[in-house]
Amino acid sequence: MNDHEIFMNLIKNNISEMQDTIDSLYVSCNACTKNILLNRLRKNMSNLSMLVQGLQNSASASVGTGTYNPQQNSTRMFTTADLAKYNGKDGNPAYVAVNGTVYDVTNNAAWAAATHFGLTAGRDLTSEFTSCHAGQPVLSRLKVVGMMA
Amino acid sequence: MTETKRIILNPVTRISGFLGIDATIDNNLVTDARTEGLLFRGFEKMLEGRSPLDAVYFTQRICGICSTAHSIASSLALESALGIKVSQQGRYLRDVIHACEFLQNHIRHFYQYTSPDFVRLPKGNTLFETDHNDFRLPAGKNDLIVQHFFDSLEYSRSAHEMLAILGGKAPHNHGVFIGGVTSQATIENISSLKMLVQNIREFIISKMIPDAYTIADYYKDYFENGQGYGNLLSFGCFDRYEKLGTLYVDPLVYSGGSIMAFHPNEITENIYSSWYADKKVAYMPLETVPEPDMSKSEGYSWVKAPRYGGIPYEVGPLARMWLCGEYRNGISTMDRTLARVLEAKKLTDIILTLLDNLIFGIDVQREYDIPQSAYGIGLTDTTRGALGHWLKIENGLISFYQIITPSVWNLSTRGQDNLPGPCEKALIGTTLKDTDNPVELGRIIRSFDPCVSCATHVYSKGNLVKSINVVP
Amino acid sequence: MNEPNLNCTNSKMRLETASVLVHKAINAIGQNKIKKGNLIWLELTGCSGNIISLLDGADPNFKNLATQMVNFIYDNSLMAAEGESAMEKLFGVIGNDFILAVEGAVSTKNDGLYNIIGRWRGQAVTAFDAIKMLGEKASYVVAVGTCASDGGISAARPNPAACVGTQNLLGRKVIKLPGCPCHPDWFLGTLAYILMFGEPALDDRNRPIMFYSTLIHDMCPRRPYFDQGIFASQLGEETCMFKLGCRGPVTRVDCPIRKWNNRVNWPIGDNSPCIGCAMFGFPDRMEPFISYDTTRKE
Repeated sequence: MNDHEIFMNLIKNNISEMQDTIDSLYVSCNACTKNILLNRLRKNMSNLSMLVQGLQNSASASVGTGTYNPQQNSTRMFTTADLAKYNGKDGNPAYVAVNGTVYDVTNNAAWAAATHFGLTAGRDLTSEFTSCHAGQPVLSRLKVVGMMA
Repeated sequence: MTETKRIILNPVTRISGFLGIDATIDNNLVTDARTEGLLFRGFEKMLEGRSPLDAVYFTQRICGICSTAHSIASSLALESALGIKVSQQGRYLRDVIHACEFLQNHIRHFYQYTSPDFVRLPKGNTLFETDHNDFRLPAGKNDLIVQHFFDSLEYSRSAHEMLAILGGKAPHNHGVFIGGVTSQATIENISSLKMLVQNIREFIISKMIPDAYTIADYYKDYFENGQGYGNLLSFGCFDRYEKLGTLYVDPLVYSGGSIMAFHPNEITENIYSSWYADKKVAYMPLETVPEPDMSKSEGYSWVKAPRYGGIPYEVGPLARMWLCGEYRNGISTMDRTLARVLEAKKLTDIILTLLDNLIFGIDVQREYDIPQSAYGIGLTDTTRGALGHWLKIENGLISFYQIITPSVWNLSTRGQDNLPGPCEKALIGTTLKDTDNPVELGRIIRSFDPCVSCATHVYSKGNLVKSINVVP
Repeated sequence: MNEPNLNCTNSKMRLETASVLVHKAINAIGQNKIKKGNLIWLELTGCSGNIISLLDGADPNFKNLATQMVNFIYDNSLMAAEGESAMEKLFGVIGNDFILAVEGAVSTKNDGLYNIIGRWRGQAVTAFDAIKMLGEKASYVVAVGTCASDGGISAARPNPAACVGTQNLLGRKVIKLPGCPCHPDWFLGTLAYILMFGEPALDDRNRPIMFYSTLIHDMCPRRPYFDQGIFASQLGEETCMFKLGCRGPVTRVDCPIRKWNNRVNWPIGDNSPCIGCAMFGFPDRMEPFISYDTTRKE
């Protein structure tokens, strides 16, 4: 399954959940149940907005084949020393490398102060990424700026 | 024939944190006492290597009831290290936040922590059950104070609401920061604050102070116990404003009948009886933070022994009210409690003065640069007494952090001098009416308003038995 | 810009959850439909700030709790009894149904002797002992605050007292209510739910979905500034504080709506960033809290 298909499935799942939640909202009376259902809707919406962003990245990167292939479209090469400069401070953008691809996280919400759960930018975070986010469509939402040399 | 008894009171409830008392009793007289702080987390060690500005938020978590105090001391220490001068408006805003924390504490300390010692609470809740019978108030007066016990919840809560209006949330506020605070005075929030403090003030004047004097009337023997040394110390608070002068108390000490100026360099800590090891037994705050060492035979506690000019000093509301001349009735268990409720009223006066001097719409914040290396000292009196933070910065990060809290002054162990700490001294010499119900011990200790979350102690497990030695 | 729209059903619903639940529970108790619970509140290796936060509850509040919802049996800060007598009340609860609320982490250093909560029948009782003796026997265990939930600041590097969260020491499920401190509504709402219906719907970190489901970032009134890239360069400003280090985007709890201290204010409303205090990485993985050198332009 390529990324596009994964996205479409996730979108369909979220929409289906929202359908169920709205049906339940019509029949529930008590404030507490409604609250839980509304929270679920909020979560679905948040998921959808992330997926939309992923699709947008996907669309702008593809060369008409409908597939997203970072290797074909980024030519800038980074050494470890190069990457270290991009720590998100003092005017430098924040870049991180995962599985050989370098991503720009400067304005990524999860990277406040150019740190994410104690990790600093300007580094290869492949193993940290794999242990935390394996299987999640996180990378597809990020802007690619190059490859590790 | 002497009867020697050992009484262990653990936990001392209705304080902040974990405290035990180990008292030796000869014929109903307390001949020796040790106070034991029972919690160690190691904040000084945790702070090393962290970003200096984070200390303002980090150190707050030392204590839940006096977190604002640490945010202020930390801000003062950082301002000292970074060479930042706080504007007067910034000071006013920050000091309003500080005063609100005092208020919250004093109302809770009098009603929730202290009054259950003297007033019978209603049946029906295990939380309110107690074993002793030393309740002397007639039913009408007792029940009035019980009513106020519940009424007071709204006012102490309101003091925290005031704190949050300027500080974002309580406990563990966000608004206090270097340079002053992050929020601004507005017409709306100042008028809310004025209304809330007037309500709290009214409650203090019409209910809390009379309740304290009612209890004092029926428990006059508590003016005769818990004296301690009578050495009093304050780092000063709500003091030395450019335009307003000192609204409360300057940095001062009282000893041997004289009031003298306070000199920060006279502060030392002694670890003779504490489970720490260092090249020196006595040191100045910026010199070292000693490492744990439980193998020391002289040690009986993790609480260190701070000294001023080499002798133990008591800190807190009584010290402040005495040093500024507003309370000179005496130094004892009951005097401490009265001084605290009178101080609460004084704080409402101070808040109103500060509010009246605020200018709307001033933002005191800037971008701040962290130097590669620096050191700073932050000293302030706060809810329970004198609080100090000493820090060093190296390579742009915290390399050293020393904290001496008010409760370490009051709950101090013996130093190399073998002098008991102020609380220990206050317990020694007390006559217990009934050694099976030693109510005096808890009452004396609570008058100091201990907050043990930063004091430290390690105890060996083992069987301690109440022993009665009969010597013919 | 900084106010949630209280005419909006969503906000109103969230705000009232705790209050509605508590009053329902009190009614049900009054009509003998459900029983008052027995509540033990253990303060362990922490700052004891959560019980202070509980006292700050406006609606619902501490008086609701202590006089109408539960038989409040034990709490170090508030109980009239002291010493051995207090310990007897604590352990006397074993054999009855009780709900155990825990705040603070548990020190495991040196056999737990870094945190002694009392002496009982001649022996020191450590925080570790108390959790082990009571945790498996309670009908429900609720970890109140970040330290009890995930170790929190008591376990901050290098963790001198070897602190861990409650769940690390118990085989049975612990409901987590992280927050530094825990908001009184989160605790009282959860407790009321437990009394009436049993365990509330929990997420994959055992936090009640009714309070912990949504990121602060997704409810933040300053979100439009974030979306348009308008960032504050110092504290005290009214725009988005992402570049100063705001952890709202990774923190899942309802502060923007509920706010604090009877809804008067909240950290971001006070022009200071969220420091992620309700998250499992707090504090080590939420630092630095404040930075002035983050790149603002792309």
